[in-house]
Amino acid sequence: MSLPQTLYKHSLTQPLYDWHPWNMKWILFFGALIGSGICDQETFSGHQVFRINVRNEDEISKLNQLMNSDNLKLDLWKSPSTLGHPADVLVPSFSLREVKSFLEEHGLEYAVTVEDLQTVLDSEDRKLQRNVRQELSSNCFNYGAYHTLEAIHKEMDFIVKSYPRLVSAVKIGHSFENRLMYVLKFSTGKGRRRPAIWLNAGIHAREWIAPATAIWTARKIACDYGRDLVITSILKKMDIFLLPVANPDGYVYTHTHNRLWRKTRSVNPGSPCIGTDPNRNWNSHFGGAGTSRDPCSDMYHGPRPHSEVEVKLVADFIADHGNFKCFIDLHSYSQLVMYPYGYTTMRAGDADELDTVAQNAANAMASLSGTQYRVGSVGSAIYTSSGNSVDWAYDNGIKYAFIFELRDTGFYAFTLPADQIIPTAQETWLGLKTIMEHVQNSI
Amino acid sequence: MQLRRQPLSAPRPGDTRPAAQRLAVPLLLLLALQGAAASGEPEDSGWLQDAEPSSRLLSQAARAALHFFNFRAASPSALQVLANVLDGRAWVNQKKEYKFDLVFTTEFYRAEEGEKRLGTCSAQVFFRNDKPRPAVNVTCTQLIKKERRQEEDYQLYKLMKQLKSPLNAVRIPDSHGYIAPSLRPIWNLAFLGSSYVMWQKTTPFLHYFMSQISSVKQWKTNDDAIDFDYTVLLHEFSTQEIIPCRIHLVWYPGKPLKVKYHCQERQTPEEGSGTEEGSAVALTELSNF
Repeated sequence: MSLPQTLYKHSLTQPLYDWHPWNMKWILFFGALIGSGICDQETFSGHQVFRINVRNEDEISKLNQLMNSDNLKLDLWKSPSTLGHPADVLVPSFSLREVKSFLEEHGLEYAVTVEDLQTVLDSEDRKLQRNVRQELSSNCFNYGAYHTLEAIHKEMDFIVKSYPRLVSAVKIGHSFENRLMYVLKFSTGKGRRRPAIWLNAGIHAREWIAPATAIWTARKIACDYGRDLVITSILKKMDIFLLPVANPDGYVYTHTHNRLWRKTRSVNPGSPCIGTDPNRNWNSHFGGAGTSRDPCSDMYHGPRPHSEVEVKLVADFIADHGNFKCFIDLHSYSQLVMYPYGYTTMRAGDADELDTVAQNAANAMASLSGTQYRVGSVGSAIYTSSGNSVDWAYDNGIKYAFIFELRDTGFYAFTLPADQIIPTAQETWLGLKTIMEHVQNSI
Repeated sequence: MQLRRQPLSAPRPGDTRPAAQRLAVPLLLLLALQGAAASGEPEDSGWLQDAEPSSRLLSQAARAALHFFNFRAASPSALQVLANVLDGRAWVNQKKEYKFDLVFTTEFYRAEEGEKRLGTCSAQVFFRNDKPRPAVNVTCTQLIKKERRQEEDYQLYKLMKQLKSPLNAVRIPDSHGYIAPSLRPIWNLAFLGSSYVMWQKTTPFLHYFMSQISSVKQWKTNDDAIDFDYTVLLHEFSTQEIIPCRIHLVWYPGKPLKVKYHCQERQTPEEGSGTEEGSAVALTELSNF
């Protein structure tokens, strides 16, 4: 669905956005959701927006009760942050009767502020169109563009705020240059050690499509939970941890100094050259083939395993948690779905199964736009690389360890045009879901 | 967006063939001795055919052939990129030199997504130890007729003549992968020049992609030909290094491309040949073009 051209008209006299400054953000948020095509809603015909007054604790708990009814598929646009402030709720057409009778039965005061969302979306108010476009371009995160670290982190904050029941911020530490290592946790259950999936992205700074895909994926997971059968089922059983920028110092450096920087930005004593290849720094066959002991090399493995704080933080977190079942690392370019090992071309014990899963993922990805991903172990499909993340994960009991090399195959290479972000993210999502579903079925 | 299929067996599980970098002597023991093959058989003895060449190695050889083809065609509007390797045979000798016989498909290097015409090429590629660059024999089906290609080259040439010298620090593409339409001709011409360099530098262990034009030193069009002096960043895949190469080319539609280059190599202790300076090659007049 294309970006909505209008803002919503209040069914009485005033445009909705005049009522409360907060409304604008939520409506635009919803609009941006539709606009970027992330949520799979076809039409909003007959959908209504209710403004519900909550005057006391009792009414808040009644509202929560209403919101928690899964079958009603209600969408909370604005939660009552303090008493006296109303809640805005989007009610799909099929739930109208039930919601109205619930509200009336429990004496909750409400008004229908939007009588038909589709009509509003279709309406032709140019002034509102202009306002919306302005607001959207200045405030809302454009998933079809590349962003600074700050912007990505800000959007992560926003996702946490927008989906408080599902998403939480997990700040696992700081990088060498003291930047936040910011992880999103998607969890529907209590318990700190539910079986979990780790999604890693941007460990190599110049591979911009990876963080771009990751932040889109974060929004997608949040958005589709409760709507998409597959992801809802996965999240019922498992937690997902997502680190969109695993090398924040390097990523910032690609914005400020050198677009093609790859490594971390740690200092190498005695050498003029900066940085270690974080994907050669993991404690698995460290220093073997496919690495360099020269600090100036782009494949420098570092002085010792986990010398890079960015690597150590993730490895320690996963090890301490102890119940990760799946580890997926996003890179570019080459269009490959790969599994361990990288340090050798000898087959891992689970290579047969992993190859099948990888092939299924690749098929799923191709089904969207025809993009072909090849499949194989890291060592045979791309090159030997020791001390990489998936070898480490696999050797530490995480059987389902995969690495994706996203688009393209060398045409634009690292500088993949921004108009390919969303298509890449969409097809990658199909691959990720395939793998996660398989993992879920195996535990 | 490039489509890449591997109908020739993709790396299969259980493929114990080591990476191209590690095609060391022990591996030759696995190869079957092939007698005089049907076509393109090696002249001297001592050639062992690789029974199952890795698709990656074949792709690298195919790309080398394509770099050479693009350079020889000298047509910035008709640049081709590798689509798929359909068939490939590989031989290696005791001196660890490699020889390839390939059939592969290509696509146009175009901005528009519409046309997805596939061409087919057959090539023999010979990586010798004494010469830095691979010897290539390549023929490709015509994706577009010669007249049309010449016409498009001439149109491109006219556009280039109108371009003001982009000497202000432009990176093409920019960080976000964007190439302004007016700068497209520059990109195409730069790719043509880079093709020469990438052909020269490709070995069985090192292969390149063009990343970015990092600076334009000179863009002269006052004489007939386009005189283009620029620095391009090449990405070498197996070492992941970014190699800046200064390239100076002279181009006129229909004439062979003249190229000089100098690359800033980083010392790579693991690869003996990685220290080559890319010694400046003077004009390359090709007689049998």
